[in-house]
Amino acid sequence: MERTLTSFIATLRNAEVRISPAETLDAMNAVELTGYRDREFLKNTLALVLPKTADEKETFENTFDRFFRFEDVSGDRNPLESVAEEDGEEQEEGEGQGTGGRAGSKLETDQNRKKGKNRFSSASDEAEEEELGEGEVAEAQTRLGKLLMQDSRVELSVEMAEAAKVVKLEEIQVFTQKGLYTRRIMEQMGLSDLLKEIQENKKSFSLPHRRLSQELKKRHDWLREQVRDYVEKQFLLHADASGTRLREELLRKVKLSNIEHRNFRLVQEIVYRMSKKLITMYSRRKKIFKRGALNVPRTLRHNMQYDGHIFNLQWKSVKIDRPKVFAICDVSGSVANYARFMLMFLYSLEAVMPKVRAFAFSSDLAEVTELFERNNLEDAISKTLHEYGGGSTDYGQALVDFKKKCLDDIDNRTTIIILGDARNNYGDCKQEILQELYTRSKRVIWLNPESRNTWNVGDAEMRKYTPYVHQAEECNSLTHIERTVSNLLKYTQ
Amino acid sequence: MTDINQLTESVDSLKDNFELHKYICSNQIATAVYLAYHLRKPVLIEGPPGVGKTELAKTTADMFQLPLIRLQCYEGLDEAKAIYEWKYGKQLLYTQVLKETLDEVLQGAQGFKESVTRLHEFGDIFFSEEFMEPRPLLKALQEEDGCVLLIDEVDKSDHEFESLLLEILSDYQVSIPEIGTVKARAEPPIVFLTSNNTREISDALKRRCLHLYIPFPDVELEQKIIHARVPEIPPKLRHQLVSFIQELRDLDLKKVPAISETIDWARTLLLLHTETLDPDLVRDTLNVILKFQEDIDNIDKEIPSLTHNAIKN
Repeated sequence: MERTLTSFIATLRNAEVRISPAETLDAMNAVELTGYRDREFLKNTLALVLPKTADEKETFENTFDRFFRFEDVSGDRNPLESVAEEDGEEQEEGEGQGTGGRAGSKLETDQNRKKGKNRFSSASDEAEEEELGEGEVAEAQTRLGKLLMQDSRVELSVEMAEAAKVVKLEEIQVFTQKGLYTRRIMEQMGLSDLLKEIQENKKSFSLPHRRLSQELKKRHDWLREQVRDYVEKQFLLHADASGTRLREELLRKVKLSNIEHRNFRLVQEIVYRMSKKLITMYSRRKKIFKRGALNVPRTLRHNMQYDGHIFNLQWKSVKIDRPKVFAICDVSGSVANYARFMLMFLYSLEAVMPKVRAFAFSSDLAEVTELFERNNLEDAISKTLHEYGGGSTDYGQALVDFKKKCLDDIDNRTTIIILGDARNNYGDCKQEILQELYTRSKRVIWLNPESRNTWNVGDAEMRKYTPYVHQAEECNSLTHIERTVSNLLKYTQ
Repeated sequence: MTDINQLTESVDSLKDNFELHKYICSNQIATAVYLAYHLRKPVLIEGPPGVGKTELAKTTADMFQLPLIRLQCYEGLDEAKAIYEWKYGKQLLYTQVLKETLDEVLQGAQGFKESVTRLHEFGDIFFSEEFMEPRPLLKALQEEDGCVLLIDEVDKSDHEFESLLLEILSDYQVSIPEIGTVKARAEPPIVFLTSNNTREISDALKRRCLHLYIPFPDVELEQKIIHARVPEIPPKLRHQLVSFIQELRDLDLKKVPAISETIDWARTLLLLHTETLDPDLVRDTLNVILKFQEDIDNIDKEIPSLTHNAIKN
């Protein structure tokens, strides 16, 4: 049973729930206490030990239901199905034979079904089947054959699960491997012996043996179906996530302007996760202890309890302020998509950067901070793009506007991020304003979505702006944005 | 204690006993206490404010008849306030006394070396348990028959304090440099930590705990809770007010009313001898369940329809 648990944990990890080896041990201890008998109890127990955030709990819930479904249902559903089949067959056979029916064994009805099919269909291999009639059936000799003939579904599914473990089904990666794994599992269960038995019995002269051969063949087909089903389910469980991961890897690196609309949701999730990582990294507010500067009131207060003997000294300390960020985004057609993700990123980091002010421009510049405060992220971004996007870019005018609006708010703790391609349509650059911003602020970062060698081609004016920025970076994928933001946090801490 | 053993025999018996103590809980919560007791693991409880996180610890202490030791966390909490502190005053007093009797102690000592050896015998006394003031965490370890330790709102404390907790949470011991390691007596305490998620708790701490998330209850559970807490309230009114609150939770509010607010409201309505909800009454008592003027203003328009729905259900 331990292996079941570890493979369940592997599945959970696949679904982005972080579980450490120590927690695995905890889970084993807990399960030892509670046992596997009560499903709900087991679920409650594992839910306490394994997932450690509300989000993870939800993932856990889904994964648990999917993972432990197979053993649950197969014992249940299959007989039901076969009963339904039998019922159907009964009607079919009702006029023909009249016997068989519910009282008869499953074997009988199965044979009846074969006859029924023969009557209506003329598939080549089935036509070959000889009409053997009813009667004794020889006993199967191979293990798998016996199991099949005994109709012991529970044992079969246990066998199947075990064979799956041996062939390492949990390592399945892409859907093309499904056939391969189905075959391997069948072989592990003793397929070759079974096929041999079927062949040998077919050639046999005795009627019961030939009947056995036919019966085994049918059940072999049924088993293959079951195994394929099983592989399918396991594939969804194991490979689903690694497929997504692959896609995510790609999305992180792909040019943001090339991201298709249908992937926006996924990108948003990635942004959310990336920012979460940054938040945990930088959420700790550092204090600078000014060694040597005595905090007299605190010292006196602290030493009151020692009869006023001053020996526990208290020093002055200053908490470092969170960075103040001004983001100026070009939202004209060519850069709009980059602005979208940049803003998404900055505003997901609210916990560590509470003072973000956003500005958008194409020709004129406007502050959109309030939009983001009032609406949710997605709405705010699309509103920004809708209202301020379009129009030809004028960096000169944008800088003039920006200066007019908030030059006074910029101090030595402010970081200004400008996102744009610096394509000014041959207008006036007004780089002297950027110089002013440069001297007043802590950092000016220019992010350009174009690759470096086109920065000065055509109407692009990066050459004029770069002297007045602390850092000019090429930025066109999520990884780039993440790196920039991470640097930003590092410098300001 | 056989009593506790009986209580913790199964999840169901725990759940029933919680109910006897007027704490209605889901299976998940009962399982958490069951595992906490048997595996000796701390439980980290998260959830929105007012769903009974602190109450769970209190009720557990009540039920097991163990003392509850509570440590309220806040920014700036340090080991002197959480674990132990030296009784400096007492130490000072004793040095004064020692100073006067120093001659007697050193009488007959041959040379400097022997005097120092004699003085050394005193040295350690000042840093012994006699001079130590135990704070909640240490006190919890020293309880003879075990206790319930509640570390409340651990997210409000500093990062440093969180690391301080790690030793006590995983091994039930504290290291005091001057004395050595203090281990829990026979019965280690049952530890509950609560967090409102104002910041992310570190992975190291989470790893050492069972993690219990208490969400808002569903209609049925909330009905039962109100019934247990405010038994005097007529069933019809109880039904109405619970469905009103449940509907309120679906709306876009700054602070969603929690169970504690539902209970307060039930008591308020009882005090006003209400028999059934009506819009005016709801408007007058809305400040019991909604704690922001902004929310109250926003809801104002919808009160009639909300009340209507609640009565109809």
